[in-house]
Amino acid sequence: MDILTSLAVITLAALVHSSFQLSVSVLTLLSGHAIGSSRSRSRLVGLTTSFVAGSAIITVLLLSFLAFVLSQLFGNQPPLLLWSVVCGIMLAVGIAVWIFYYRRQKGTSLWIPRGMAEFLRDRTKVTKSSAEAFSLGMTSVVGELLFVIAPLLASALILTTLPPLWQLLGIAIYAVVSLLTLGSVWVLIGSGHKLSEIQQWRESNKYFLQFAAGSALIVLGIFLYVFMVMANSPGGM
Amino acid sequence: MTDLAVDVVKRGKRPSELFARDKLHSSIVAACLSVQTPIRQAELIADTVCNNVLGWLERRPEVKSDDVRRIATKHLTVHHPDAAYLYEHHNIIL
Repeated sequence: MDILTSLAVITLAALVHSSFQLSVSVLTLLSGHAIGSSRSRSRLVGLTTSFVAGSAIITVLLLSFLAFVLSQLFGNQPPLLLWSVVCGIMLAVGIAVWIFYYRRQKGTSLWIPRGMAEFLRDRTKVTKSSAEAFSLGMTSVVGELLFVIAPLLASALILTTLPPLWQLLGIAIYAVVSLLTLGSVWVLIGSGHKLSEIQQWRESNKYFLQFAAGSALIVLGIFLYVFMVMANSPGGM
Repeated sequence: MTDLAVDVVKRGKRPSELFARDKLHSSIVAACLSVQTPIRQAELIADTVCNNVLGWLERRPEVKSDDVRRIATKHLTVHHPDAAYLYEHHNIIL
């Protein structure tokens, strides 16, 4: 796979990551508590900025960690079996997202362990400092690892095949694109938009986002399987 | 108006507690502030909604917390639909 195609795949994987909604939900709740308890606008911006920074840092750390481990284990030419496994994970997670990403009820409840959801909800209530908001941002990405692992793994695997400088660019692209949704909500909240409008938009479009994320994962999984496994297997294309 | 001796049965495994007007008032004010309502207006709306909920509670010795939220949402919708939406959905955002 050439460098441009690799970066394009990383961008699509990051877009899928971006469409996952746990961090956005927690950011909405955090902003609601901050505004509801009459904190100043600068305090609100400080908390939400720290939250987004925490999400960005943990995303970069997770991607770098996975890429490092994979490159240590398999060098810059991962075996076909590993590509097959990652493609399988992408297909499985894609179908899982189609079937049960959102809970079938009103609102935007996600299919994550209820204990984790309760923990995040309780933490948002008591988050008052930027450091707490930063760690909450990190936790919200980890809380969705079950879904986020698929695009992260695919991107990490592709990163191992790139030259070192392009790897850095790949990580930067992934970090920026994966934060598009969260960043947009952060800008909207910071510029004074009503939380109710943001939440109503999210609820109205949740099934579209769910379908798009699942479909993109499946398409990406099939693309990587054809491009990396079938094309490189003995007697392949 | 003072608090009534009404048991509020919480969701999940949390223990029941006595109805507290202040708690309801604060949560409604918070919902109103979240949709950019001025503080004085938020407090007036919360007063009105709390009085309506207290009226509903008068002949009930025990209620579920979900029912309190439902009734409060119903009355809040009349005064501020956006705040009512957030108030109703607060527990189902995550």
